[in-house]
Amino acid sequence: MSDIRHSLLRRDALSAAKEVLYHLDIYFSSQLQSTAVPIVDKGTIELVEEFIFHVSKDRNIQLKRMSSMQELQLLEIMCSYFQEQSKDAVRQLIFSALFSPQGGKADDSRMAMMGKLVSMAVAVCRVPILECAASWLQRTHALYCVRLAKVLVDDYCSLVPGSIQTLRQIYTASPRFCCQFITAVTALYDLSSEELIPSSGLLEMVVTWITDDPRLSLITFLNMPISANMPLGSLGITPLVGLVRWCAKSPLSYKRNSKAPVANGHTGKLARESVEEGVDLDPLYSKLHLSVLQILLMLQAHLTEKNLFGRLELLQFEQMVQLVEELGRLVEELNPLNATREIELSLNRLAQVLQVAMASGALLCTREDLRPICSRLPHNNLLQLVMSGPVQQPPHSAFQPGFYPHIHTPPLGYPPRPSTPAAAAHPAHPSFIPGMSFPYRPMR
Amino acid sequence: MSAQGDCEFLVKKARELVSEDPWAAKAWLITARTLYPSDFNIQYEMYTIERNAERTASAGRLLYDMFVNFPDQPVVWREISVITAALRSDCQDKHAQFLRGKDADMLLRLGCHPPSAPCLCFLTRVSVSRLCVSGLFETLPGRVQCEMLLKATEQCFNTVEKAEMLLLLLRRFPESVVQHGVSLGETLLEAESIEDLDTPVNCFRKLFVCDVLPLIINTSDMRLPPSLMYKYMHKAAEFYIAYVTRGPSADGQLPGSQEAVGLKSPSAHRGSQRYVIDGLTEKSSLVSDPWERLLDILAVVGALCEWQGDKASRSYPEILQRMKKLCRYLPSLEGETLSRCRSQVVTCAALVLFRSAYLYVSTVQPSLFQAHCSPGTGPWILVEDLSSVYSEVDLEKSAKHAHKKCKLADSREKTVSSDDEEGLGKGRNRHIVLSKADVPGWAETLDSFRTARESWDLLHSHEALESEFSKICSSWKTDTWLWLRIFLTDMIIYQGHYRKALTSLHQMAAFQPLQQGPMVPQGSLEHQRALIQLASCHYALGEYRLACEKLLEVVCTLTPQAHDPSRTPEELTRSTRTKFRKGSDLRLLPCTTKAVLPFCLQLMLACFKLRAFMDNRDDLALGHVIVLLQHDWPLGEALFLKAIDKICQQGSFQYENFFNYVTNIDMLEEFAYLRTTEGGRVQLELLPNQGMLIKNPSPSLGLVSQEFSTLLLPGAQSAERHHTVTRGITKGVKEDFRLAMERQVARCGENLLSVLHRFCINERVILVQSLP
Repeated sequence: MSDIRHSLLRRDALSAAKEVLYHLDIYFSSQLQSTAVPIVDKGTIELVEEFIFHVSKDRNIQLKRMSSMQELQLLEIMCSYFQEQSKDAVRQLIFSALFSPQGGKADDSRMAMMGKLVSMAVAVCRVPILECAASWLQRTHALYCVRLAKVLVDDYCSLVPGSIQTLRQIYTASPRFCCQFITAVTALYDLSSEELIPSSGLLEMVVTWITDDPRLSLITFLNMPISANMPLGSLGITPLVGLVRWCAKSPLSYKRNSKAPVANGHTGKLARESVEEGVDLDPLYSKLHLSVLQILLMLQAHLTEKNLFGRLELLQFEQMVQLVEELGRLVEELNPLNATREIELSLNRLAQVLQVAMASGALLCTREDLRPICSRLPHNNLLQLVMSGPVQQPPHSAFQPGFYPHIHTPPLGYPPRPSTPAAAAHPAHPSFIPGMSFPYRPMR
Repeated sequence: MSAQGDCEFLVKKARELVSEDPWAAKAWLITARTLYPSDFNIQYEMYTIERNAERTASAGRLLYDMFVNFPDQPVVWREISVITAALRSDCQDKHAQFLRGKDADMLLRLGCHPPSAPCLCFLTRVSVSRLCVSGLFETLPGRVQCEMLLKATEQCFNTVEKAEMLLLLLRRFPESVVQHGVSLGETLLEAESIEDLDTPVNCFRKLFVCDVLPLIINTSDMRLPPSLMYKYMHKAAEFYIAYVTRGPSADGQLPGSQEAVGLKSPSAHRGSQRYVIDGLTEKSSLVSDPWERLLDILAVVGALCEWQGDKASRSYPEILQRMKKLCRYLPSLEGETLSRCRSQVVTCAALVLFRSAYLYVSTVQPSLFQAHCSPGTGPWILVEDLSSVYSEVDLEKSAKHAHKKCKLADSREKTVSSDDEEGLGKGRNRHIVLSKADVPGWAETLDSFRTARESWDLLHSHEALESEFSKICSSWKTDTWLWLRIFLTDMIIYQGHYRKALTSLHQMAAFQPLQQGPMVPQGSLEHQRALIQLASCHYALGEYRLACEKLLEVVCTLTPQAHDPSRTPEELTRSTRTKFRKGSDLRLLPCTTKAVLPFCLQLMLACFKLRAFMDNRDDLALGHVIVLLQHDWPLGEALFLKAIDKICQQGSFQYENFFNYVTNIDMLEEFAYLRTTEGGRVQLELLPNQGMLIKNPSPSLGLVSQEFSTLLLPGAQSAERHHTVTRGITKGVKEDFRLAMERQVARCGENLLSVLHRFCINERVILVQSLP
C-alpha cells in the first residue's frame, strides 16, 4: 500500500486521483473474486482521502490540490468510470469506498465532491451513478443524505430556472434514486421554518411523481431484503413520514408564514411565490394526502405478503408523536380564531392518516396510545372518532375486519379477497387492528 | 353516537367536498372505510364518485368489492343490471344514443349544485352512460367478469333475461360453454315447451338456435351424442324455415302504417320488414341469412355425426346431388351405417326441399311472405298451357282420349300413390311456359321448382326415407304450412296427378282464409288462384263441365279492362307460335285480370271445342266456340273455318245468341255469305225469338236468354221489341237478319273483352248446362 502511496505522491493531483481509481478497480475486482463480502480496509480509505479528497492524516505533508478544471476532469473520469464498469458490485464498492462518510476531516470535501458527481449524473443522466447514490442514501446517516438533497435542490430548483425539468427525469432514469431523493427532500424540508418549506416547483414535482405512481414511494421498501436492518440514523425506508408531515403541517405552516411577513413589513417567500407563479398549492397537498392514504392501503398487502404485518413499523409512533407536537405548537402560534379552517384541515388530515396507518399496519399503536398525545390539540370530530374507534358493530357481518381491499390504487394484480391465502394467513389478528380490543367509547 | 351516525357523518363530509376538492372527499371515504369496513353506504359513495367521474377502472374495482362484500344490496344489483343491460343492448340503437345525450346534459345541470340525496339517486339511475358502464365492466379481469355475470344470472327470474345473461358469459368466455352451453340450451327448449307456443319463431327458440347452438357446436371439446345433434339440428331447421316463411308482419294493420302501405315509399317498405319476436328486442329479433346459417349448422353437425361425403360442399343444390348419389348405396347398407346414412339423406334432402319450395313459392305467391309486393312480382298460377287451343290438330285424338282419361282417373281414384301415372304418362320433364319478360329470375324459379320436386322424389324413393321424413313433417306440422301446400299442389299438377291435385286444392281452400287473412284484400284475384287451378285440373281430367263451372265463378269476379292496345297481333302470334310440342305443357300464368280473363276464355274454348266438333250435331256448343274464337282473332281463324265447314255440312245452324256476342266483322261477313246462294243457302237461325218460335226449345231456357239479352242491350231492346210485335212467324225474317247484321257491323268497335265477359256472365247457366 505504501508503495502505491509513494508512487502517487510523485504524480500531479489529477493523475494521482486517476491512479487511485484505477487501483481501487483492480483491488475490488480481485477481492470480489476471492471473498463473498469484501471489506474496505483502512489503507484504502486513507489512500482515497489523501489523493482524491486531499486530506491526509499526516499533517506534515502539504498536498497538491486540484484546480477547478482538474476537479471537473476528475468528475468526468468518475462519471465515465461508473458508467463503464459493468459489474454492479464493484461499482457499489468503489462508490462506497469513495463516498461513505468516515467521520473525519475529509467528509466535507467528500460530500462536496459527491454532490457535484450526483448533480452531474442527473444532468447527463448517468443511471449507474444514480443507482449507487440511491444505495448510498439508504445506508448513510440522514444528515448527509439531507446535504445531498440540498445540493440537488439548489442546483436544479433554485439556481437555473427551468432546470427542474432535468431533475424531473430521474423518475424515469432511476426510480430507486427518485424514491430516496423524495425521502431525503421531505426530511430536509420539514416545514419548520420559512426556509424549510419546499418551493412550489419542488412540491409540484414530488406530488406529480407520487400521484402518477404511488408505488414509487415504496420502491426501496419493496426491494429491501426482509431481514435487512436499517443503519442507525439513516433515512426511513419510505418517504411516508416526510410526506405525512407535509400534508398535515402545510395548512398551518403556510398560514403562519403568510402572516409573519405582514409583521415584518414585507411579503414572505410563500406569498411571493404563490402570487408570482399563480399556483394554488392547496390541491397539490390534497392530492398528495390522498396518495399517502392510498400508499398506506397498498402497504398493507405488501406487509402481509412479506409476512411483516405487525412487525415493521413504517410510520414510527415516536415520529407521529413528534408530528402531533409540532402541530400543537403551530396551533398555539396561530390564533385559533383566525385559522379555524386551516386547523380543521390539518387535524382532519392527521386523523385520517393516523386511522389509515393504524388500519393498514404501518403504524403500530393503539387508540389509547393516541389519546394522551393528541389531548393538546383542539377538538376535531374526526380525530375524536379515530381516537375512540368505531362503534362495535354486531358481528353478523362476514366481512373480515382486519383486511381492506385496495381502493383508489392502481392495479397490483387484483385485490386479494378475504378468501385468498394471503388474507387467510392472518385470519384472526385483531391485535394488528389497534383499538379493536377497546370495547367501549367515551362520550365525545 | 351510533355506528350509523358515524358513517352518515363521514359520508356527508365526503359529499360536501366532492365538487371542490375530490381528493379530500376520497381521503375521507378511505378513512371511513377503514373505520367501518362493512358499511355499504361508504363504499357505494366511493363507487359513485369514481363512476360519475367515469374513472372506469377504479369504479369497476369498487363495484367488484361491493359485489363480493354486499351481495344482498339491491343497489349493487341495480348497478350490475344497468351494466348487463348496456352490454346486451344494441349500442348503435338511436334511442340509446339519444338517451345518452340527454343524460350528459342532465348531469351537467345537476353537477352545478351540491347533489342532494334524491339527486344522487337520479344520477345513479340515469346519468351513467352505457359507454361508461360497459367500459367499467371491461376493466374488470376476466375471472371477475365471469363471476359477476354468473351471479347476475342467478338473480334473473325471467328465462329470456337469464339466457341473455348467460350468453354474455358464454360469448366472452368460450371455455364456459362446455359447462353451461348444453344446460342453457335445454333450459330454453324446456321453457319453450312449457309455454306451449304456437310457432317455433319465439324468443326461446331464437336464442337457442341463433345464439346458443352456434356456441355449442363450435366448441370443439364438446362431444355431444348424435341423437342430440339431430334434435338440435331439427330444432334449428324448424326455426329457420318458420322464420323465413313467416307471414308478413301484422304492423300493416296499424292505422298509421296503413297510409304508408298506399304510399309505397321506401320508408313504408322498410317498416314492413321490421319484425320483432315477442319477448326480444328488435335488434335481437333480427336473423340474418337464415338459409346460410342453416347450412353452417348442417356442415358442423354433419362433421360431428360423421356423415358421408364431401364436407366442403356448400350449396343446397350440391347437397341434393350428393344425397342422390348416397341414396344409391342405401340398399346395400345395414345396421348403424344404414340408420346414420338414412338420417343424413332425410335431413339434407328435407332442407333442400323446404328451401327450394320456399324459393319457388316466394315467386309464385309472394304475398305470403311480404306485405307489399312491388307490381309485376306475382302471384303466378301454374295451369295447363292452352296456347295451342286454336290449333285443330288434336281434335280427333284428344276427343277420344279425354274419355279414356276420365275413366282412368275415376277408376284409380282410390289407389293413392301411383294414380294415373301411366294414364297421363307425362309426369316427367314437362315444359313450363312463361313470359320471360314478366318473371324476373324465371330461370331460378324454375330451377327451385325442379330441385324441390327432385328432393321430394328422393325422399319418397325408399320407404325408410319416407317414414323418417314423415316423422319430421308431423313434428313440424308441415301440413299446416300453406306455402308448402301451394308447392305440393303445383308439384302434383306438374306430375299430372290431377285427381290428387284437386284434393290438395280443396284442402288448401280450407285453411287459406286463415293464413292469408288480413294482408290480401277480400275478393282479390289471389283468392281465385285455387279456383283457376281447379278449373285447369278438371279440364285436364276431361271434366269440362266442372272446369267451366269453376271458370265462370272466376270470371264473375273479374272486371274486364279496356282493350289493351299494347297487345299487338305480332305479340299474339309470337306467344302462340312457340308451341306445337304437345298438349302437355304447363304455363305460369300471372294472376292479373289481364292474363286471367283471356286464359278463362281459352279454357272455355278448349272445353267446348271437342263437343262442338263431335260427329253429333251440337249447335249450341259450336255457337259458343264461334263466340269464343273472336278472342285473339285471327288465331282461331282456322278453327272458325272448320266450324263454317261443319255448318255448311249441316245445312243449317241455330244459335240465338249470335247477334248478342258476335261482333267480329270477318265472322259476320262469313255468316252473311252463308245465307247467299253462293254460300250454300245455309239455314241460319241466329235471332233469339226466331229460334224460340221455330224450334220451340225448352221455354225456360229461351226466356232466360231473352231476359238476359234485354237486360244486356238496352239500346237494342226497343228495336227488337218492335220486330217482335210487327213480325209474322216467318215473314220478314230475312229483313230482320239483314237489320241485325247491319247493327252488328256497327258494334264492331265495341270492347271485345267486355262483350265476351258479358257472354260468360249472362250465359253462365247455359254454358254449364251445355257441357256433359
